[in-house]
Formats: sequence, C-alpha cells, structure tokens
Amino acid sequence: MGVIEPLTKIFREVFDDEDITLSGEMTADDVDGWDSLSHVNLIVTIETRFNIKFTQKELLTFRNVGDLMDSIQSKLPS
Amino acid sequence: MVFNSLEYFLFLPAIWLVHYFLGQRFRWLFLLVASLIFYVSLKVPYLLGVITLVTITTYGFGLWIHRVEQLQQKKLLLWGGIATNVLILVAMKYVPFLTENLNVLLSLFDSPIKAPHAQLLVAIGVSYYVFQAISYLSDIYLEIEEPETHFGYFSLYLAFFPKLLQGPIERARDLLPQLKQKYEFNYDNMRFGLLLFTWGLFKKVVLADRLGLYVDAVYNDVHAYQGLPLLLATYAYAFQIYFDFSGYTDMALGTARLFNVKLTDNFNSPYLATSVADFWRRWHITFSRWILDYIFKPLQMSWRNWKNWGTAAALVVTFFVSGLWHGASWGFVIWGLLHGTYMACSVFYRPFQKKIHKAMSLEKTKVLKIWQIFVTFNLVCLAWVFFRAFGGWQALYVLKNIPEMHHNYVALIDNGWADFIRNNIMFGLDKRNIITLAACLICYAIIISKKSYDLLNKPTYIRWTAYYLLIFSIIFLQVSSKKYIYFQF
Repeated sequence: MGVIEPLTKIFREVFDDEDITLSGEMTADDVDGWDSLSHVNLIVTIETRFNIKFTQKELLTFRNVGDLMDSIQSKLPS
Repeated sequence: MVFNSLEYFLFLPAIWLVHYFLGQRFRWLFLLVASLIFYVSLKVPYLLGVITLVTITTYGFGLWIHRVEQLQQKKLLLWGGIATNVLILVAMKYVPFLTENLNVLLSLFDSPIKAPHAQLLVAIGVSYYVFQAISYLSDIYLEIEEPETHFGYFSLYLAFFPKLLQGPIERARDLLPQLKQKYEFNYDNMRFGLLLFTWGLFKKVVLADRLGLYVDAVYNDVHAYQGLPLLLATYAYAFQIYFDFSGYTDMALGTARLFNVKLTDNFNSPYLATSVADFWRRWHITFSRWILDYIFKPLQMSWRNWKNWGTAAALVVTFFVSGLWHGASWGFVIWGLLHGTYMACSVFYRPFQKKIHKAMSLEKTKVLKIWQIFVTFNLVCLAWVFFRAFGGWQALYVLKNIPEMHHNYVALIDNGWADFIRNNIMFGLDKRNIITLAACLICYAIIISKKSYDLLNKPTYIRWTAYYLLIFSIIFLQVSSKKYIYFQF
C-alpha cells in the first residue's frame, strides 16, 4: 500500500487545506498552520489511521515529510 | 572577572594577542587554559572541580551512548548522564531551598526531626554548562550528533570563556566546528566584535545600571509606595533586565567574534512580541529553544493522546522547570508557572482568538498589533514582579497596590505637581539622574528605530563620531557597576 495517498488525505484534513501536495523535502515551514499544536493532531491522526505507534525518538528526529513517510512505511506490514 | 571590569579589559587583549601569535596546534589548549583562568578569577575554587566533573562525565557518557548497540542500553546511559548532571546542579543550587522547605513541611506535622541547615553555594555558570552537557548527550542519543572524541575540544566547548558565565547556551554542533576552524585574522570580525562589545557595555553600564537605581529606589522599600510608582518601577525593571542581559550577551558575542567564533544571539526585540509564545521566541532565545527541545517536545509527544490538554500540561511543567532553573526560590517558581499558565491558556483560546479578530474585522490591522504588544508586555511585566520582588508576599503587595492610583491623584490635588513628580516619578532620585536616564533612553530608541546599529556600513565621519560618543558616554555616564542579574542563575 502506498503511503503518500492516505497521508496526503490526512494532511488536507488536519490543516484544512485541499491544495496540499506532499513531497519528501517538505517541512513545517512549508505548510500554513503547521505549528506544535497541529503537529500533535497530525501525529495522533496518523497513528490512529495507520494503526501504528511512533517511538519518542522517531518523533523527536523527524526532519521533514520524507522522514515521516519512511517511518510509517517501515511500520506497515509488508 | 566580569566583562565590565578593568581586569577583563587587560585580560582580553592579552589573551587575544597570545592566541594570535600562537600556532594553530596549541590554540585550543591556550583558549581552554585562558577560560579556566577566567573562571578561577571568580575566586570560588570549587567551581573548577565542578566544571571538570561535568566535562569528564559528559565526555565519557557521550562516547558510551554512541558505542552501545541496543536502544534500551542507550536510553539507560542517557538517563545516567542526565541524572549525573542534574544531581551536580541540584547539589550546587537547590540543597538549601529543599532543606528549608522540608523543615517547613516537618514543622507542620510537629515532627522533632529537622534537616540540617545547608549553606548556599556560589554556582555561577553551572546551570549554563550543565544545560549544554544535557543537550549534548540528548543529541548523541537522538543520533543528530556524533560524540566529540578530542577531550580538549570538548572541554573547550563547555568552558569557552565568552559564554561560560551566562550563556548563550550553545549546541555542540554549532560551536565545536568553529572552535576547530583554523584561525585567520579577519578585519571585519574584529571591527564588528569590538563594536558589539562596546554597544553591550553601553547597554549594561549606562542604561541597565542607571535604570537599576530607579528600580531599587522603589523595590527596596515597596511598602512606602502605592499606585503609579509601583507601576513605573515595574516597567523600568522590565527594561533594566533586558538591557542588563542583552548587554551582557552583546559583550559575549563581541568577545567571541574576535576569535572568529559566531555565538547565537539571545534577543530579538522581545518587548515587541505580540503574544507570550512570541515573547519566548525573542527572549533568551538559546534558553527557550533548549527548554522547547529537551523538555516541552518530549513531554508533549508523550502526552499526545490527551491532545490540547497534554500540550497545556507540558507547557506548565516546562515553564515550572524554567522557573526553578532561574533559582531556588518561590518567586522564580511562580514566575515560571505564570508563563506556563499564559501559554497553556492560549492553547485553548487561540482557535477563538482568530474568529474574534475576524468578527471584529481587526485581522492584520495595526491597531490589533499594537494592542497585542501592549497586552503581552503587561503580562510579561506582571510575571517580572515575582522575579524582582523579595519573596511572594512582597510581589503580591506590589500587584495589589498598583491599581491604587487614586492615592496618587489625591496627593496631586493636595500637594501640587512639583511634589507629585518628586515622590511618584523621581522617587527621591537626583534630577540629573532622571534627565540623564531619559536622554540615554531616547538616544537608544532613536538608534534602534533608525537601524543605526548597522554602523559599520556608514561613512567614516558618522562612524567615528558614533564611536567617540559611545565611549564618551560609557566613561562619563556609567553608574558604578553592579553584578549582572543573570549571573545568579
């Protein structure tokens, strides 16, 4: 299963913006309204939808959307 | 020795000259020895032992965390390293506070047992390098950084004298590469460094210390005042602490620049912040980034399932720790908790805030911005009262009596303007003092508003006039120097 499609859907919902298109290099600075509060919403929504759990270490070291996607991918059953 | 002392004015050029003529191979060693001499000059010998202990343990734990394979072991070692550092900090700063409060608690239960009275130790610099040590260990654990293998450079990272006593709190990845860089004389860095140092000195000895006279007149005897003087002294304190700390930081940054090292700036016009969160992005920036990255974010993420409540709780805990870091007293704790509460409230208020502004068609207007700056400044000042007052009761007296301005009005009607100004605006201080203070503050405001601090790009005659004026005012308008407010932390 591809990660980018469901993840884009989550981003569009959380940030209430239908025009968001994800890319690996994207960071919080590129998305309007991506602050520490919405970040928590984003993470919790991702964890619920994909039924996964991020570790504390992962959460503290995500540099961009690419890191986030890699981590989700690694947790999904292959 | 402090930056605005004769010793330092001799120390710095001497160190710079020797450093300049030494070969690159020995520069780190020389700077390390110089930094330790600088530290020893405070005449508190055990501090040398403390910094050595922090350096050795952090260096060891850093390598160890990196070397072990299993995540669980890494975690254990990280906690071991952090615990060692925190214990050192607690032993240095918090034992008297803890025993005192324990005794109060014991007396409530009529317990015959009493904790022995502990002496308060001088801990200048300790909280700064302990924080840097913790950030270093955490970054190695998170694998955003490799441990430094060269013990000498690592020691210099913690002890580098421009930032040793009062920050900025530097990350190893920002500072270490600069310390290792080959030194080459750089005229622009020299010019900029010296100007920044002088500008910081001006802020400290002319502005902060003079404002200090004004603040002390009221705060050393608050019960003699009501209404307006309490408000004015609180506002004055907000600027005193800003000039004191940002002046010190400029001197630290200026000194480091002479050695081609660029330290991180700590301030960005904090009183123009439009929210308390914005204030913390502009005030003591290296410290707020530290508490954000190493306390707030881990807590917020651990409590993420509580959504906004988790974030709010993380903010309160983070700022509680921030208050404690500033010192072992209830005043600082309340100050921290106030900031934590402001930010926790804004977590819930923010979604409505946007809607309210939209409904009143105030979005992005100048009026709104001025209003937000005004409100933020006053919230910050309210918290400063606890920072400055001697104990919580005195702070409560100040806050309770600021609104009592009708007393000032009655005094004005009864005794006339001259008396009113003398008692409520000048607090018995000399007229010359007040005029000099006002003139200096106006000059400062003009310089800042015209961005004239970008002096180095101005024509020669303007530059040299400004240099002379700056030095002239430092020599003739300085107030006999006192200690730095942020030293005690």
